[in-house]
Amino acid sequence: MSGTMSESRGKYINVSSTSRRFARFFSLLSALVVRDVTSRYRRSSLGMWWAFIQPVVLMLLFNMLRGFVNIPSDGVPYILFSYTGLVPWTFFTNSVSACGPSIIQNAEIIKKISMPREVFPLAAVFATLFDFGMSAIILAILMFWYKVSVGLTLLWVPLLVILTIGASFAIGILLAGLGTFRKDFIFATPFLTQAWLFITPVIYPLSSVPEKWRSIYMLNPMVGVIEGFRSVLIKGQSPEIKPLVLAMVMVILIMSISWPLFRKLSDYFADVL
Amino acid sequence: MSSDVTIRISGLWKRYGLPMPRFIHRGINLIKGRNSEYEDGDWWALKDVSLEVRRGETLGIVGRNGAGKSTLLKVLAGVTIPTKGRVEILGRIFPMIELNAGLNTELTGRENVRLLGAIMGLSRSETERILPDVEDFTELGEWFDKPVRMYSSGMLSRLGFGVAVNIKSDVVLIDETFAVGDLKFQNKSLARVRELRESGATILLVSHSLETLQFVAKRGILLEQGKLLADGSALEAINAYETLVFRAEQKRVEHRVRSRITSEDVNIFGARLFDQDGNTLTEVRAEQPFGIEVDLHIHRDLEHPMFSLGLHNMAGILCKWNVSKEDGLIGPGPRNHYILRAWYPENRLSTGAYEAHFAARDAATFETLERIAGIINFAVIGPERSRGIVCGKVEWTLIPFDEVQNSTGSNNSISDDSSREQTYD
Repeated sequence: MSGTMSESRGKYINVSSTSRRFARFFSLLSALVVRDVTSRYRRSSLGMWWAFIQPVVLMLLFNMLRGFVNIPSDGVPYILFSYTGLVPWTFFTNSVSACGPSIIQNAEIIKKISMPREVFPLAAVFATLFDFGMSAIILAILMFWYKVSVGLTLLWVPLLVILTIGASFAIGILLAGLGTFRKDFIFATPFLTQAWLFITPVIYPLSSVPEKWRSIYMLNPMVGVIEGFRSVLIKGQSPEIKPLVLAMVMVILIMSISWPLFRKLSDYFADVL
Repeated sequence: MSSDVTIRISGLWKRYGLPMPRFIHRGINLIKGRNSEYEDGDWWALKDVSLEVRRGETLGIVGRNGAGKSTLLKVLAGVTIPTKGRVEILGRIFPMIELNAGLNTELTGRENVRLLGAIMGLSRSETERILPDVEDFTELGEWFDKPVRMYSSGMLSRLGFGVAVNIKSDVVLIDETFAVGDLKFQNKSLARVRELRESGATILLVSHSLETLQFVAKRGILLEQGKLLADGSALEAINAYETLVFRAEQKRVEHRVRSRITSEDVNIFGARLFDQDGNTLTEVRAEQPFGIEVDLHIHRDLEHPMFSLGLHNMAGILCKWNVSKEDGLIGPGPRNHYILRAWYPENRLSTGAYEAHFAARDAATFETLERIAGIINFAVIGPERSRGIVCGKVEWTLIPFDEVQNSTGSNNSISDDSSREQTYD
């Protein structure tokens, strides 16, 4: 029966002003971010310190690894080198993995009240941004310790942060949409991010990637992001243009697929939650 | 009150789940090793529902479990999209559906109100404006600033309801939210709904409490298996709903003999319900005379056969009990095949589903020869709702006390009774 029936899709129209919807989106977004940030560390003894611990532990691990294996670091102290990569990288992976289950976690709301569902993965990204800010404080201390001279190149940082948010959101929204229907996508997220770490110049420099592979390698948007952060923070140089532009193009490309797909899927979230 | 339409639903069909082309389902089934065809896809939660609701109207929605009431509200709230058809809503819509959605247990009551406000579509300043009202309404006192995980379930519901009733909206959807808190809180909530109605909001209400619906809603619709069965006044919809329920209950227990004591001496072949002309009835209208006929064979010569019929309602209360001997059926019953008829000339049964219990005894020995609980089941269907065990109207009069005093001399019925009247002063 369902196969033969011509499915003229149903329409739902609610006449209310766009500006209202916009204002509502932002008040909801900020309320969700506040909820996530304030409730996350309640009832934990270390509290906010957890935001520092993760990148610091990773940094120490990679430093140990470097004791056995020779990893070049473009002439920068390896601690500083790896940490500048790990801060944006942990932000990216944490927000991608927070996006995945964000729809399922907010099932009670989604099942009852209509709203643009993008708000949930987006809130997950912004709540992680708070941790990013925290771990950046350690980075600043490290930079001070190693007497890194900073200059006007710091003005690139906001753009790079926006680009990281964009990359997290583009990938996260895809996992959130698909993961709501099939949990497999959420279970696969840790493997995905671990594998991704090895194709991103976090613990090794871009310069150690063979020249002939570099063009394909740079299709990974996180290459431009991580290299960009490193140039402007510890090398005092503007980011290389090619990886940066490629990263932007890739983020826009991924988002132009994942966002419409999410929108389409989001119509049926309430049906399967 | 203006008469413009706030909600317009035309040809609404709803089927749950992601619509996917058939071959994808086949593929999934192949991978999982299931060869069954995809069955869920043919199940519709709503079938061709069309409805218009005007501004300021209060619409009660009744129906049995799974009839599609909540689905309808969900589609209206925009939570799930219609599969086919068109739903138009003019104005701000607010669903008061199970209001604890989005409460975070680690946050305090106050923090949760801010969160709920945002979830329910308020801006930050609007939320701050209603915060004192909510604090006042919920009566939580010092608990308002304690983490919600320490709350009792009643306190939780009050918190959610407190936010919800303080939100101004053009269309309000309410789903089973009155059973919150104690009686005082319920009355307060009902009063708030009435306020909403008076402010011109359109209210759609789903409740299993027919009393609430009857008092709050003016218009009512009945849904059954996703179809709109009735649309009229709230009372009409409730009556149609009860008829539906009684019929369903009757079907459920039909020909299901619950307990039976039997002997070799009496055989029962069947029983039926009949009307004045002897035609078989499937259900009885309120106050319509009816009869119960039992087809039985007596295998022993009985000097005094005695039959009894008891009518039980669905709550198991015996509403009517008659014994043949007391009603004047006296005489011997030699072995034979009989049709026993019991005629109820005055049917005072209230609307509902009934179960008849039958027994045959030997009056000489008081031996029970046959007893069947549920020999026949039937529904009494009324144009009007009746409460209690018997139906029928009562003539009410409201007379000022002084006038009753003055007329005692002239009014016979009162002066007759006054001799038996007890005084308590």
